Amino acid sequence: MSETSSSRMEQALAQASRGDAAAFESLVREHQGMVFSLAYHFLHDRAAAEDMAQEVFLHLFRNLRSIQTPEHLKFWLRKVASHRCIDHLRGHQPQSSLDDLPEIADSKAEGDLLLEERLRRLVGSLPERARMAVVLRFQEELEYHEIAEIMEIPINTVKSNLQRALALLRGKLARCMGDVPA
Amino acid sequence: MNPLDQELKNALRRQEPSADFTQRVMAGLQPEPAPDSRWGEAIRNLLRFPSLRWATAAALCALLTIGGLAYRRHQQTVTQGEMARAKVMLALHITSSKLNVALRGVQRADRRDQVQDTQRSE
Repeated sequence: MSETSSSRMEQALAQASRGDAAAFESLVREHQGMVFSLAYHFLHDRAAAEDMAQEVFLHLFRNLRSIQTPEHLKFWLRKVASHRCIDHLRGHQPQSSLDDLPEIADSKAEGDLLLEERLRRLVGSLPERARMAVVLRFQEELEYHEIAEIMEIPINTVKSNLQRALALLRGKLARCMGDVPA
Repeated sequence: MNPLDQELKNALRRQEPSADFTQRVMAGLQPEPAPDSRWGEAIRNLLRFPSLRWATAAALCALLTIGGLAYRRHQQTVTQGEMARAKVMLALHITSSKLNVALRGVQRADRRDQVQDTQRSE
C-alpha cells in the first residue's frame, strides 16, 4: 500500500469509526477484492464467497472501534475471513486429508487458463487448514509467520502444511500434464 | 520462485466480486427503525428549543412536587385510619369485658334466687 493510499485509508478508517457511511463504503471498496477472493479460492463457489464476504464486512462494521490502523484492518479482515471460511466448510462438508486429493483427467492440449482452473480445483480439494495456508501464501503473498498469526497455529504447522500441499499439487499436476513444474 | 509457485500465484490472484457487492453490503448496514424511534425523534426535536427545555424541566418539578404532596397526604390518611381502627377495637374490647362482668353478675344473682326459692318450698 503506497503512503498516500495508507493515509487515505487511515482517514477513512477514522471517519468510518465515527459513523461516516461513505468512509465505510470506501473501506469496503478497497478491501472487497481481498476478502471475496480469500473466500472464493477457499470455497470455490462465487455466491457462497460473496455471502461470506458480506458477512465479514457487516462484522467489521460492528467492530470498527476495535480497529486501530489500516494494517490492523487488513490483518483483521484476513483473520475473520479465514476463520469464517474454515468454520463454514466444517459445517458443510466432510473433512478430507491431504492423501485424498482427486486425480485430474489428462488434457495436455488445454491452455494456461485451464491449467489455472485445474490448479484452483486442486487447491479447493485440499484439507481446510492446508487450503487456507496455500490461499494466504499465494493470493496474499504472506510470510509463514503472518499466516501462522492469522490462522492461530504454530509456524511449523504452517510450513509442514504448505510443504505437503505443494508436493501433492506438484504430483497431481505432473500426472495429469506429464510435465512437472519444478 | 519455482514455476509451480508462479502458477499458483496466477491461479489464486485476487478477483473482484459482482458489481453490486458494495451496494449490498451498504444496504445490509441500514438498521431496522425502532418502533418508538419517531416518538424519540419528535421529543428530541422539541427539546432542541431552550424555552421548551425549561418548560419541560418546570413541568417535571411541578409534577414531582404535586406527586410528593399527594403521597404524603395519602400516608397521613392511612395513618389516621389505622389509629381510628385501633381506638374502635380498644372500645369494643372494653365494652365486651364490661358486658361479660355484668352477665356473670346477673347469672350469679339468678342462681342465688333459685337456691332461696328451693329452700323456701322445702
